[in-house]
Amino acid sequence: MNKLGTIIGFTFKNKARTKSFLITTLILALLITIGMNVPYIIKLIKGDDASKAEQIGILYGSQPVIAAELEKYAAQSGNKDYTFVKYEGTAPDQAKKDLEDGKIEGYLSFDGGEGAFPAVTFTGGEDGMGQGITSFLMPALQTVKTTVIAKDALSAEQIAALNEPVKLDTVRINAEGKTEAGGDTHREDMQKAMNYVVVYVLLILFFTSNMMTGNMIAAEVTSEKSSRIMEILITSVSPLAQMFGKVIGIFLVGIVQIAVFGVVVGANLMLPHNQDILQGYSLSISDINLPVLLYGLVFYILGYFLYAVLYAAIGSIVSRTEDLGQAVMPITMLGLASFYIGLFSITASGSMLIKVTSFIPFTAPTAMLVRIGMGTVPTWQILISLVLLLVSILFFGWLSAKIYRTGVLMYGKRPSIKELRKAMKAYKI
Amino acid sequence: MEPLKLVNVVKQYGDKTAVNQISLEVGRGEIYGLLGANGAGKTTTMRMVLGLIYPDGGEILYNGKPYHAELQQIMGYLPEERGLYPKIKVSEQIVYLARLRGMSQQDADKSLRYWLERFDVPEYYDKRIEELSKGNQQKMGFIAAIVHKPQIVILDEAFSGLDPVNVELLKATVKELRDQGTSILFSTHRMEHVEELCQRITILHKSNTVVQGNIRDIKSRYPREEVLLHTTGNVGGLDAIPGVTAVERIDRGYHIRIAAPETAQGILQKAMQETTVERFEIKEPTLNQIFIQEVGDSHE
Repeated sequence: MNKLGTIIGFTFKNKARTKSFLITTLILALLITIGMNVPYIIKLIKGDDASKAEQIGILYGSQPVIAAELEKYAAQSGNKDYTFVKYEGTAPDQAKKDLEDGKIEGYLSFDGGEGAFPAVTFTGGEDGMGQGITSFLMPALQTVKTTVIAKDALSAEQIAALNEPVKLDTVRINAEGKTEAGGDTHREDMQKAMNYVVVYVLLILFFTSNMMTGNMIAAEVTSEKSSRIMEILITSVSPLAQMFGKVIGIFLVGIVQIAVFGVVVGANLMLPHNQDILQGYSLSISDINLPVLLYGLVFYILGYFLYAVLYAAIGSIVSRTEDLGQAVMPITMLGLASFYIGLFSITASGSMLIKVTSFIPFTAPTAMLVRIGMGTVPTWQILISLVLLLVSILFFGWLSAKIYRTGVLMYGKRPSIKELRKAMKAYKI
Repeated sequence: MEPLKLVNVVKQYGDKTAVNQISLEVGRGEIYGLLGANGAGKTTTMRMVLGLIYPDGGEILYNGKPYHAELQQIMGYLPEERGLYPKIKVSEQIVYLARLRGMSQQDADKSLRYWLERFDVPEYYDKRIEELSKGNQQKMGFIAAIVHKPQIVILDEAFSGLDPVNVELLKATVKELRDQGTSILFSTHRMEHVEELCQRITILHKSNTVVQGNIRDIKSRYPREEVLLHTTGNVGGLDAIPGVTAVERIDRGYHIRIAAPETAQGILQKAMQETTVERFEIKEPTLNQIFIQEVGDSHE
C-alpha cells in the first residue's frame, strides 16, 4: 500500500509537471475563456447598436388598423429589442432604401386583404428573418389577428383571455406508483433544461478526459517498456500496484485539469455580463439537480477506471510508441460508441437501445447518466448497473494486470492472442 | 546456504530452448561470471533469477527458499539497456526506485548522495538523464541497481560502452561490494574483466553450459601450448625441435606453439646454448582462447 502511494505520487508529480501538460491545460483554459465571452465581445464590437431596439418597418398601405394594432402590441408587450416604424403608402422604395442603409432590419407588407386577415410578407436583408424576429413577430401577428377579427364580437376582456397561453400542469406517476404533483411547470422546465446541460457537459467531460488520460496512460506504459525501466519496476513492485498506481496518478492529473477548467468556467460565469446572459435564459445554478450530478460523477469515475485499465493493458503489449495509435483503436471505438449512444439518446431517454446499454459496463457510464438525467430510473436499476460496472472493473483490472505483467516483457512483433494467453498462465500477479 | 542457487533450470520459448539445464551457485561475497556469445541465454538466465520470467523446469533458490516477494527488496538489477526515465532528474528517479525497493526517502537520498560522491559526480544530482553522456547514464543505472544496498546484484553487461577510467572505477566498486558480502551475478563477453573479478564462471553456448567452474581449474584443464621467448640474439632451427608446431618471430624474440608441454624445456635448452635468454614463459591459455575454442566460429 505504501508503494502504491509512492507510485501515485511519482506519476502525478512527473505528469503534472511536463511542459506538454501545462501548455495544453493553459491553451484549453484560454479557449474556454474566449468561448464563454464571445457573445459579450460581439456585443462590444457592435457597440451601442445592440442596446438600441431594432426597427421593423410596416408598409401599412391599405391596412392602417393592423399597423396601429401592431404598434399597440409592441408598446404593451414591453419588448425592448424591436420596435415598429411606419411607412406611408404601398411603394416599398423608402423602406428598401432604409433596409439597405441598415436603419431597419426588414419590413412587413400586406396583400389586398381578400379574407378576414391579409397575408403578410416579411422582406429582410441578407440575414432574412432571424430567430429573434420570428419569435417576436409570430405572437405579435397572432394577437393582432385575433384582435382584428374578433374586435366587434368580443369584449376586450374576452380577447385578453383568448390571448392568454393555455396553462398545462403535469402530474407524474413514478415507478413506485406514487403520484408526484407537477407543481410549477416553469420551474420544472428550467430544471429539465439544467439537467440537459449537466448531462451534456458530463458526457463531453467523460469522453474527452477518458480519451486524453487513457492515451496518456497507454503512452506512459509503452515508453517505460521501451526504455526498459519496466524491467526494474517489475522486479521492484507487483504489477497490480504498478498499474493501479499509474492509473490513479493519472486520474488525479485529469481531475486537477478538470478542476482548473471548472474554476475557469466558474470565474467566467461570475463576470457580470455573463450573469446577465445566464439570466436572459433564466437558468440559474440552483436549478442543478444534485442527484444527477452525483450519479454522473460516480459513473464518470468508475467508467474512467474501467477504460484506464484497458488502456494500460494495451500500452503494455505495444513495444514502440509509434504502434500505439493503432493498438488503442478498439478501445477508442468503444469510447466513441458509448459517447454517441449517450448523445443521440438525450432526446429519447426511454428507448430500448439506451435501456440495454445502460447495463453494459462499457456504455453504462454514459447511457445511465442520460437515463438518470433525462427521465426517471428505478433505483434498483441504477444499483444493478453500478454493481455490474464495479465487478467488471475488478475483472478487467485483474485481466489487465495479467496482460501487463506478460506484455511488458514481450518485444518485437505484437504478440498474438494465443501467445498472450499462454504466457499469462505462467505468471501470478 | 548459498544466497543464490540454480538447479537444472530450463527455459523454452515455443520450440526453441533458450536455456538448457543450467546449474550454478553464487556464494556470499562472490562475483560469478556468466559468459557467452550474443543469444547464448545469459539475459534469459538473469531474468529468471530476477523473477521477471519463470523457468519451465528446474528451480532457483535464494538462501534456500524459492522466489518470494520480499526478494524484491534485496535484489538489484542493471539491465543491458539502461533502464531509466530520460526526462526525469537523477535524484528523483533513483530515490523513487530505491523507495519502491523498500527504502525510506531519507535513507535513499543519503545513499544516492554517497554514491554520486563516490563516483565524483555530485553535480548530477539535479541533472536529467538525457543530459548525461551514455557512459554517465550507465553509471547512474549502476547506482540505481545498488543504491538500496541489495544482497544479490545482477549486472548485465555492466561495463559495455564505458571508457577505461570508468571501467576501473566500476570494477573497484564491484570488488568493494563483493568484499562487503554482496553476491553478484555478472554477465559479459569481455574476458579480461572476468579473469580479474571472478573466481567461478559459466560459459554458455547456444543455451547449453559448455564450461563451468573455478577459473584456475578450467585453465589447468586446457594444455599449455604457447611459449614466449625473449633473447638478445637469434636462435636458429627452433622449428626443427620435435613437438614445435609453429614459430613466429616477434619484436624481441619468438612466439612458439607446441604440441605438448614437455617440448618447452627443449626450446629453453636450445636457446640458452645459442644466446642469452631474457625471458621465458610457458603461457597458460587465456579465457579468451578457451572461449573461442569452445564457442568457436559460431561467435557472432
